[in-house]
Amino acid sequence: MIKKILIANRGEIAIRVMNTCREMGIKTVAVYSEADRTSLHTQYADEAYCIGPAPSNESYLNTDKILEVAMKTGADAVHPGYGFLSENANFAEQCQKEGITFIGPDAYAINTMGDKITARKTMTAAGVPVVPGTAEPITDIDAAVKKIMEIGLPVMIKASAGGGGKGMRLVEKEEDILSSVQGAKSEALAAFGNDAVYIEKYISSPHHIEFQILADKHGNCIHLFERECSVQRRHQKVVEETPSPIMTPKVRQEMGQHAVAAAKAVNYSGAGTIEFITDDNLNYYFLEMNTRLQVEHPITEQVVGIDLVREQIKIADGEKLSVKQEELSQHGHAIEMRIYAEDPDNNFMPNPGTIHHIQFPLGPGIRHDTYVHNGYKIPIYYDPMISKLVVWGNNRIEAIDRMKRALSGFRISGVKTSIPFLSRILEIDDFKKGRYTTHFIPKNEEELQKRETCTEDGENIAAITAFVAFQNQLQKQIVSSPNVVSSKWKEFGRKKAVTRL
Amino acid sequence: MSYQIDINGNIKDFEILNRNENSISARIDGKVYDLDLLETEPGLFNIIYKGKNFNFEVIPKENKTFQVATSKNTLEIEIIDAESRYMKNRKGAEEEDAAYISTPMPGQVVKILVEEGQEVKGGETVIIVSAMKMESEYKVVKDRIIKEILVKEGDNIEGDQPLILFE
Repeated sequence: MIKKILIANRGEIAIRVMNTCREMGIKTVAVYSEADRTSLHTQYADEAYCIGPAPSNESYLNTDKILEVAMKTGADAVHPGYGFLSENANFAEQCQKEGITFIGPDAYAINTMGDKITARKTMTAAGVPVVPGTAEPITDIDAAVKKIMEIGLPVMIKASAGGGGKGMRLVEKEEDILSSVQGAKSEALAAFGNDAVYIEKYISSPHHIEFQILADKHGNCIHLFERECSVQRRHQKVVEETPSPIMTPKVRQEMGQHAVAAAKAVNYSGAGTIEFITDDNLNYYFLEMNTRLQVEHPITEQVVGIDLVREQIKIADGEKLSVKQEELSQHGHAIEMRIYAEDPDNNFMPNPGTIHHIQFPLGPGIRHDTYVHNGYKIPIYYDPMISKLVVWGNNRIEAIDRMKRALSGFRISGVKTSIPFLSRILEIDDFKKGRYTTHFIPKNEEELQKRETCTEDGENIAAITAFVAFQNQLQKQIVSSPNVVSSKWKEFGRKKAVTRL
Repeated sequence: MSYQIDINGNIKDFEILNRNENSISARIDGKVYDLDLLETEPGLFNIIYKGKNFNFEVIPKENKTFQVATSKNTLEIEIIDAESRYMKNRKGAEEEDAAYISTPMPGQVVKILVEEGQEVKGGETVIIVSAMKMESEYKVVKDRIIKEILVKEGDNIEGDQPLILFE
């Protein structure tokens, strides 16, 4: 029976996990770096231990130190959250060796899904569709051309040693096949000293759709439907929603079955996510599996009505799943927007600093997962995501309207955030209609960069307000000027001297 | 007393006609505004003008400059009084180019690419600073000579802190 959990993470997810622990009557242990003494997760847990200096590799990634705290405090289990140690198979093994439950899958599942080539082979064997392409790198030109004809155009040629776009070629026309293969190979040879290439079907209008799954240690596995995560900036998710606006009941059922098959293929246990790349015609292919809780898990919780962290803990404790697939349904629509401390009007530069004032939107249908507060100094060492704003509505339109209302009521100052950018996303026609792909942000860049301005009256009133602040400042300076009263004791002494007379 | 006020680079004539507790009457470029202005929390203002609500946050910056966050955007507002007019005139002909390199936000120095006394060409990167897993390069605008380096690699820095001084 799990009675105490160490949360090996920081920020909003640490607090999210602690909330469920508290509801389940489980004690919580926080670990924190020297930079996080003021972070809310440190203060929120029942116990808190410093595990090292600010850089992650000396604190939140320091497995020995974290395990030492777990043993010292008598924690039965470790919850890794997302990021940091959540997909570290060695850490999962280390925990097991010390007799501490790792809340997540075993090392085998993490390793198999963590390696792209092994994952692809395992999925093919399990009958889960993967993006058509070569399983092994190709060096022979004739073999490459033959493979391309087999897959069908368009295709993407990628250097097997590659990265950074070097040795990549998109082929759309038949007459370009030979020259593209040669070009990619020579570029790859020049850049990486290796001319082996992969060939993959190119999906021209891709959607990123993922399925949440839950599996217990008794062979039961269910899916909790999809999340649409196509609004991305530089491969970072910005907006997630469920249900996906392009999904049909038939495809949903099929994809869900494939997601369950994928999890079963690696004897998965716990909460996990199968990511699919999907085209406009809802052809879908396995992309990867995330063997942890996702950042965007709250939208599934809002629509399906299941606390995923609670399920994770129960599964880790050896319990059977409490719900069956046929008992699950999606109710209403949920959207999550990630709020980053970055300046959307200045190339999304990170903007750490001290929060002067923060006012969260409240009211019906709003959930807000965060860890920041008034006067909090956002550290420079970690991810710039400071909060996740989640709304629920009876349908997509209601959810969008609610999100607009929530964003307009969200006031934060001292640091710049992505809030204005998020508001603009909700006004774009493609988003409103739910017809968007992963190209959404680049495609609508111009409109998304539009800056709103005040009316002239608004500006003038702002100027008057600044002037009043200026006058108030001058007054305070006069009052607190050291020539007038330097100390309360002196003032007291002077008064005393007067009354003595 | 009459002032000028600089709103995002737009200079307007400004005069307070009357101020009595929350009630403020002011003239900007000939237009009179009668406002009910309340500071609800330090730096937070609620203003009612002709029955309409405005909520602003005012963040003081250096030299009589204020950042005012409206619901739409953030305005940079400078109060220009007799003193600042005098200072501005005196500076007048001086070059606009900055005397040092600084970053707009706090971070950590990753790499310094120059040495003291070194000549650098315009557009050259002199320092790399990281914040929140992202590295940014800072370049000089014109040809400069490095006078003094005030930080070292690994240092944590504040926003707007001078890092490298030029001759």
